[in-house]
Amino acid sequence: MTFLWGLLWGLAAVMFIAGGAVIGVWWERKVSARIQMRLGPQQIGPAGVLQMVADVPKLLFKEDIVPDNADKPIFRYAPMAVFAPIAMSVAVIPFWAGWAPLDSTVGMVFYLAFPSIGVLGILLSAWASHNTLATIGGMRAAAQMVSYEVPRSLAVLSVIILAGSLQPTEVMEAWQWWWVPLTFVGFLVYFIASIAEMNRGPFDLPEAESELVAGYFSDYSGFRWAIFMMGEYGALISASLFGAAVFLGGYRWLPGVAGLAVFLVLAMVLITAVMWIKWTFPRLRQDQLMTFCWTVLTPLAIVQVVVAGVVALWL
Amino acid sequence: MAVDRTIPETPPTVSDEHAEGVRGFMQGVRSLLTGFAVTAGAVKRGPVTIRYPAEKVTVSDRWRGALRLRGVLGRDEIPLLTSPPHDYNGVIDGLYTSERLPGCVGNCPANVDARGQSFLIADDRVDEAYELVRTRNVMPGVLGRICHHPCETACKRNYYDEPIAIRPLHRFAYEEYQKLRPETLPRFENTQGKRVAIIGSGPSGLSAALDLMRLGYGVVMFEREDKPGGALYTGVPTYRLPREVLHREIYDLVDMGLELHCDTEIGKDIPMASLIREYDAVLLAVGLQESRLLPIPGNDAAGVVGALEFLWAVNRSQEAGVRGKRVFVIGGGNVAVDVARCAVRVGATEVRLACLESEDEMPCHPWEIEEALDEGVIAMCGLGPEEVLTTDGHVRGMKMRACLSVFDETGRFAPQFGDDFTEVETDVVVFAIGQGSKLDGIIAGTELLLTGRGQLVVDGAANTTSVANVFASGEVVTGPGSAIASIATGHEAATSIHRFLEGIPVDAERVRRPVPRYARYAVADVAGVEPSRRRANMPLSKPEERATDFRQVELGLTHQEAMSEATRCLRCESEVCVGCTFCARTCPDYALSVERVDEAGARCLTRYDLDLTKCCFCGLCAEQCPTSALVHTGQYELSFVHRDLMIFDKGEMLRDGGGDRATGRDGIESPACPTSAGRKGER
Repeated sequence: MTFLWGLLWGLAAVMFIAGGAVIGVWWERKVSARIQMRLGPQQIGPAGVLQMVADVPKLLFKEDIVPDNADKPIFRYAPMAVFAPIAMSVAVIPFWAGWAPLDSTVGMVFYLAFPSIGVLGILLSAWASHNTLATIGGMRAAAQMVSYEVPRSLAVLSVIILAGSLQPTEVMEAWQWWWVPLTFVGFLVYFIASIAEMNRGPFDLPEAESELVAGYFSDYSGFRWAIFMMGEYGALISASLFGAAVFLGGYRWLPGVAGLAVFLVLAMVLITAVMWIKWTFPRLRQDQLMTFCWTVLTPLAIVQVVVAGVVALWL
Repeated sequence: MAVDRTIPETPPTVSDEHAEGVRGFMQGVRSLLTGFAVTAGAVKRGPVTIRYPAEKVTVSDRWRGALRLRGVLGRDEIPLLTSPPHDYNGVIDGLYTSERLPGCVGNCPANVDARGQSFLIADDRVDEAYELVRTRNVMPGVLGRICHHPCETACKRNYYDEPIAIRPLHRFAYEEYQKLRPETLPRFENTQGKRVAIIGSGPSGLSAALDLMRLGYGVVMFEREDKPGGALYTGVPTYRLPREVLHREIYDLVDMGLELHCDTEIGKDIPMASLIREYDAVLLAVGLQESRLLPIPGNDAAGVVGALEFLWAVNRSQEAGVRGKRVFVIGGGNVAVDVARCAVRVGATEVRLACLESEDEMPCHPWEIEEALDEGVIAMCGLGPEEVLTTDGHVRGMKMRACLSVFDETGRFAPQFGDDFTEVETDVVVFAIGQGSKLDGIIAGTELLLTGRGQLVVDGAANTTSVANVFASGEVVTGPGSAIASIATGHEAATSIHRFLEGIPVDAERVRRPVPRYARYAVADVAGVEPSRRRANMPLSKPEERATDFRQVELGLTHQEAMSEATRCLRCESEVCVGCTFCARTCPDYALSVERVDEAGARCLTRYDLDLTKCCFCGLCAEQCPTSALVHTGQYELSFVHRDLMIFDKGEMLRDGGGDRATGRDGIESPACPTSAGRKGER
């Protein structure tokens, strides 16, 4: 029974991520178009909203190409290893007062841990491709994602300290509006580190289509490629939802359904902000990336933890 | 939609020097904010691109894809124009509205399928050709001698070299048919149980009779003279139309079930009123029997005769009382030329022909006057008759007045005369200026009405008269005209009678024969045209020999000449490639090569190669294809794995033209990929 429920929730999570990705792609195309003074998709459906409905079947029916020299079983299943942890991370996000799909007592750690499994999937796919560009991309991804884990976790730690709990629902219950200005620096660090975690511009060095074709998924096509893409958008959605909840208060601003709406709007604002950043700034260099992580973000996060710790003494 | 395409100004570089510490941090923050400002400004600015129209992209019919052939000779038959008589106009009109009507058929008043005739003769099915022509032209052998052949005027081959000799082919078909014909012709039975009387055995009466017999009616025909034929018997000179041909074809109709009564004059032997009572319908096809004379002084003198009387005398006895005399013919039409040429043959010492019109305006056919001049007739053009000069009631000469112009600006007949007078001495004056109808005797005792000028009251389109079951056709309706035009009215009258007897309103939802207008072709330059492509010339007997007797002037085509003439036909609009090679001649890129075998009875296309690598899709070949067999498909997507596939052979040219993708030739195995892509397990 538990297994069946789990299967159902898993399906729901996949549908949630996939649907979100479909909408996200359309929204990103629109945002990037406006930033570049274009119109974006417009032919299929009003304002092109059905563009992705047309694109998904196209991806489904494309030929599933597996390179001759690839490590075929790993090559085939690496996309799942990228996608699955991200879909699982959605489970601990507190959508409603006292309710998360998986209300774990170690939810905060769970959330920080699971997307990190994704880096393993990326490494696997890069290695299995047996391709120079993919290997470089995978290596970059590993370096980047492991590094940015540190400031990200530290930033979240500040909220955990304030709330005194690792259970997301309890963190939300303990949340006070003045935490927003208090943890603002922490939020910024979390936000920037999350962008780096999901390999988006300007931190998209692992993909770097102008240098590495598509980095670790250069050799992927058809629906396997689509799984990578959905994973990327899933990470974007998941990180935005989590940030909107634990840093910005989520549903706590208003009671009932209105609170949920505020939560989702906050998440969407974050998503749009991520896209805005991607289409505004050029890609960083590898050394700049690392310098930024260890000399700016990590110290700032530590300062935030200290501030939160001092304030927590008075709570 | 006017679009403002000015791009917002990019701000100058924010950090122009390398900075450390807090200043560097602040500079970094400023850079980030400037970046956001730039992109936000762009969003605020709005799109500068235009909104594309959302309609679906479709391939226009006018797109020129690869070429294909609709059909080729040897595989596909030419569509023959056949249908029940009352529906033939519908067939012709359908072809006309779909722009598939060949010029020869469209320009013929009776829409004879000349294209089908050429095809069947070339296919060595001459008897079928004769029978096909006979469905619309009741006497192919007769019309093959006397027709003024409007079909040849509209022949598309005029454009390339010379028209097809359609009329001589009619004659050839008749002559061959006499060798091939069955002993007894199939009889048409009276399946409808109704009987129609036809008065007059001229071309229109005969054509109506054949149509009505085909529709299953019993037809009874009455003729005043001793033999049938109407004006063809009494008026047309025998040197143009031997009487055995005429009567052979008419008695064929009798064999097929026509009940013919000669020497029977309606109004004298049988009253018209009893015909109207006894028969379900009556057709008046009596033609014009009276020559018109001009109301000028002396027209009642001895030696003044009408053209019809003169010709009838010549045809009956080859003697017209003009031997050793001078003959003066007045008129410029075909009848006048016939009179003049007959006068030469019956021994007139000098034959003059005077007409109002100038030489190039003469209403007769140019070849007629040319043959007459060859035989010694003197033409005097631009003269109008003023007075017949007489001595003691006998003709002494003619006084003629110069004619300045015949027609006014609107094209109406309104001659203007000058003041110059010419006197010509002559013994006999023949008026050949037109004919009128003489119906008083026939209609006596009936309710048929005449106009004030003695003409029958008749609806020219429906062939109906003032009595419900009496119809009229031929020259009595149309006025003087050609034999083939009379035949056409006979067909119309038969349709009217059929509708009347069926109880359908004569005019309701009736398809009229379309009357296309064909541009007159300029004479094509035949210099450099191969002799094999030229028209077969009808041989004529020598003028000095033929002027003395009534043997036929035209000698007919030989079997071989006729066969090769029939293969010259382009089979216009038949949608079957006949291998005329005009597409290959037209192609500016030499992308086409066409070959055919051209033996009698075995004409077929042997090769049709299109090299798409050369084709520039200009469409000139399809544009000029006489048969409309060569068309551009919508297959504009031309991608082939091998260049050889871009050379279409005959089989490939006949492929299905659907879809938007050309497939290339069948049966060629695609060669190995030149880049070795797609091969597995090697590296």
